[in-house]
Amino acid sequence: MGSRPCVLSEVGGRAMQVVCPGGSGELIAAGLVIGLSNGALIALIAIGYTLVYGIIELINFSHGDLFMLGTFVALTVLAALGFDQNTSPTPWLALVAALVVAMIFCGILNVLAERIAYRRLRNAPRLAPLISAIGVSFIYINVGLFWRGPTPITFPDLLPNFDFVEAITGTQSLIRFNAKDAFVVGMAIPLMVALGWVIKNTKMGKAMRAVAQDREAALQMGVDVDRVISFTFLLGGLLAGAAALMHGLYNGNTVFTLGFTAGLKAFTAAVLGGIGNVTGAALGGVLLGLLGAMTVTCYGGEWENVGVFSLLVIILVFRPTGLLGEQTPERG
Amino acid sequence: MKMNRVPVLGALTSMSDAQQKRVTFLGIAIALAIAYPFIEQIFGLRLQTKLIPVLLFIVLALGLNVVVGFAGLLDLGYAAFFAIGAYTVAFLTSSDSPFAFVDTAPVNFWIAMVAAAVVAALFGVLLGAPTLRLRGDYLAIVTLGFGEIVPLVIRNTPELTKGVQGMKPIGFPELPGLRWGIATEPWYFLVLGILLLSVFLTGRLRASRIGRAWMAIREDEVAAASMGINPVTTKLFAFSLGASFSGFAGSVWAGYLQVISPEQFDFSVSIFVLLMIVLGGMGNIPGVIAGGLLLGGFDRVLSDFVSDMLRGVGNTFAIDALRDADISRARTLIFGTALVILMLVRPEGILPSARVKAELHAAEEDETEAAQQRSELFESQR
Amino acid sequence: MTKRIPRLLAILTALAFVASACAGGGLPGGGGGGTIKVVSSLPMQGASLGQTQTMVNAFKMAFEEINYKVGNFTIEFEALDDATPARQNWDTAKEAENARKAVDDKRIVAYMGTYNSGAAAVSIPILCQANLAMISPANTYPGLTKKGAPGIEPSEPDKYYPGGCKRNYSRVVPADDLQGAVGARWMKELGVSGGVYILHDNELYGKGLADVFRAEAKNQNLKEVGYEGAPKADNFRTLANKVAASGADWVYYSGLTANNGGFLLRDLKAAKSSIKFMSVDGVAESEFITQAGAAAEGQYITFGGIPASAYTGKPKEWADKYKAKYGGNPEVYTIYSYETAKVVIAAIQKAGDKAADRATIRDLIMGTKDFEGVLGQKWSFNAEGDTTITTMAGMIIKNKDFIFSKELK
Repeated sequence: MGSRPCVLSEVGGRAMQVVCPGGSGELIAAGLVIGLSNGALIALIAIGYTLVYGIIELINFSHGDLFMLGTFVALTVLAALGFDQNTSPTPWLALVAALVVAMIFCGILNVLAERIAYRRLRNAPRLAPLISAIGVSFIYINVGLFWRGPTPITFPDLLPNFDFVEAITGTQSLIRFNAKDAFVVGMAIPLMVALGWVIKNTKMGKAMRAVAQDREAALQMGVDVDRVISFTFLLGGLLAGAAALMHGLYNGNTVFTLGFTAGLKAFTAAVLGGIGNVTGAALGGVLLGLLGAMTVTCYGGEWENVGVFSLLVIILVFRPTGLLGEQTPERG
Repeated sequence: MKMNRVPVLGALTSMSDAQQKRVTFLGIAIALAIAYPFIEQIFGLRLQTKLIPVLLFIVLALGLNVVVGFAGLLDLGYAAFFAIGAYTVAFLTSSDSPFAFVDTAPVNFWIAMVAAAVVAALFGVLLGAPTLRLRGDYLAIVTLGFGEIVPLVIRNTPELTKGVQGMKPIGFPELPGLRWGIATEPWYFLVLGILLLSVFLTGRLRASRIGRAWMAIREDEVAAASMGINPVTTKLFAFSLGASFSGFAGSVWAGYLQVISPEQFDFSVSIFVLLMIVLGGMGNIPGVIAGGLLLGGFDRVLSDFVSDMLRGVGNTFAIDALRDADISRARTLIFGTALVILMLVRPEGILPSARVKAELHAAEEDETEAAQQRSELFESQR
Repeated sequence: MTKRIPRLLAILTALAFVASACAGGGLPGGGGGGTIKVVSSLPMQGASLGQTQTMVNAFKMAFEEINYKVGNFTIEFEALDDATPARQNWDTAKEAENARKAVDDKRIVAYMGTYNSGAAAVSIPILCQANLAMISPANTYPGLTKKGAPGIEPSEPDKYYPGGCKRNYSRVVPADDLQGAVGARWMKELGVSGGVYILHDNELYGKGLADVFRAEAKNQNLKEVGYEGAPKADNFRTLANKVAASGADWVYYSGLTANNGGFLLRDLKAAKSSIKFMSVDGVAESEFITQAGAAAEGQYITFGGIPASAYTGKPKEWADKYKAKYGGNPEVYTIYSYETAKVVIAAIQKAGDKAADRATIRDLIMGTKDFEGVLGQKWSFNAEGDTTITTMAGMIIKNKDFIFSKELK
């Protein structure tokens, strides 16, 4: 009797060794915390994809690079306010300023991109706006390159170095939930809740849902479709801008090529959750963050993106509607 | 309905005129291309090493044109097959190969080239079989994911592929009396020959039964299926044929460069080739060649030339901003802008397919011209 | 529609004519005189740019001092870029194309570079078959020249000289079989308690150096608690946790700034503030300190040769001249670049009328003996193209600068 749990745990340990050769229990737990914060970031970007796809069925390829430009804007604002060096008491006011400016910048740029590059193609065959979006993405990347140069740029370490786990348990361990994690998670959740409220309760939100369901019918019912679509791009951009500042403070660096992988990851998250579904995107983001952190812990950093993209291919092949996606008529 | 249009006889004579012109120009173009190395030797141009990649990328574009232009399947991971072809050759001929026998007895390069095309086609079937039933933009993203995975796996398995260090040196083809390793001319003629063969092959395919089936599916899959065309096998054939073109080109690329590494096959390569097609005119072979020459010429020849000129101006007139001018750094900006403007203004490309346009014109008279061009260029599955 | 193709061809050809007229080169020199060309191939974009820009300055400085003329020959110099905008680091395809370009241009008699050992492995075989001399101011991977060095493959270096072509490659910096070993011995001197965690960036240079270090660390009885690839990533937080969990008190990292070595150090320090970090010449550039920020203070760097801040005598005179001309300080490889160009110029001078003959220049460069440039000591190339200089420096980062600590043996 007494040896039984022992055997079980040994078997479990062996199995874990096979599934996750690089990790121990503590490392996996530490990885999960990192994955949670990364996932919250991915989720914010993923919502931008899912909103746009839900309403005009466009994979807004430039969204990741919009996020990259957002990190540059946030850094520029911090520098302009004199906080581009590490300072010990966190300059909360400057952070709020950087957040607001980055959000507004990304929001407006996204609206402009829609106005210039996508609107005229709304009734064109589906691949035309997709190719146009790839073009916009390229433009953003090169603007980023010209703006801040090719080398990775360091973000100032502005958040306090306070570890909640240590404060509670009193011992320093690898499992850390520090102020940075709290900042990311604590900002992502209210933003998503607010978004949900806007979609559910405001007039504009209702119009968005109407347009997503049937654009023609919405038009006939007197909904200003152009405005609704602009508003959708604005929302997506705002969240990307918020994610940009959070990424900078959390990961401590940015580079002009950041957007491509970030965008692909976020898109994968949106597809995983069921594209067009906002809750799904949030869920997909968190799951993807956890998956990424686990891949890194178990197999090493170089396999992270292989895991992410394999998941993308597998979902699209076997369950294109994602975890929470619904089978809508036009999505047959 | 058609009676009041241009008399048939007139159409015929004008057609044959156009055809005559076409044959003449084609002849001149081929002659020029073949004569180029000699022109170069006389004038000391030193552009051959730049032209070889341009021509090879046109071969890639012709292959992708089968997938995107003929069959209407947007493939954003085309570079993956290019990589698979290149690594097949490296596995069979390089001293870095994981197969021990290659060190002592490398496979003949000509055979390795064929193997590269076959292996790439196999991978095309493997990827295509489960995914080709997906809708257009989902297929695009699946291929994009595949295109990302292949170089990453190559990078992460250095035991097999040497990872980022790349595999080198690669074997090269031999013909009696010709030293291929580093000589430029044989490679130029080899690539030119492959290009001409590709033009011929894709041209014949397009006119064939299967070519018409591709276009039928591109236009309306449901209607095509009800006419007795099997959409799955037809699409799969286009997809794997495109992949084999890419693999074949990859084998030549590996032999020419003598080194291959994963970052040579990243997303930008897939997009570059796609841009050649979109710019030139999807589905139209002369258009694809024109697009390839324009983009490749810009990328390899013109951008250096313009940068040099700007630097010259900067040095002469002491304008500091121009002294280090380098157009290639604005490459993605120029490509991106081109893509957006093209989609907005002329989504059919600079040289859209005249023949298909005429066919369409007869078939759907009531539609506007622009709508016709678009519908021939893209699947319209809404 | 089709008529546009020949027109395009015609335009391209016309452009080509214009280009050739602009380039305006003379015929490759038979007899006495004409234009010969020397090229360099370094990554001119990305994190290495701070370093490589000074290297190109040093090349130009050497040629300007002789007014681009040797005897009846005019020397043209061109700095090729082996990096791409997408990668921001050296790129195999670009390097191979540079080498092919050099082979194709018959006026080119010497190829200076590369910066990265991986890039050299690409171009050596191509240039070797064309009898074109290649001389590097910065490559340190042993396998490029030395047979049987630790950490290299059995097929090295022969596979870089295919078909038994005559050795064409030399370098003016000491190879890493020295650097890795002195690093291990220095670490032993400094004291290891918990053990050393060895990290590398997966590149030819980084992995090769890590293997040399590993072998010598074993000889020195240093406890190894981990050995792992740390390829370029945005952040290394998970890896840093792993290192912290291993109980290591030292990390040895052999890699490049361009592969985010500085960010690795930053994350390691954040995970375990007491960790000590030793790295190699691949990060001996100011960009590394920018990346790592405060975490860089007090860390250890090994380097083949002597850093500019510790120059005395002839090197110091040269560095002052450089500063007067270009403003900024020379980086660690700048002086070697100047020396490289000097070796090439000396070979061209010695060749006399045969300066346009590639094989002659190659043999003269490979046969460099008792050369006295600006390095402050006489040196020669051995038969494998390696320098006889074996000076190694240990540096400590202080106040955001690499400060010479001691000479390592």
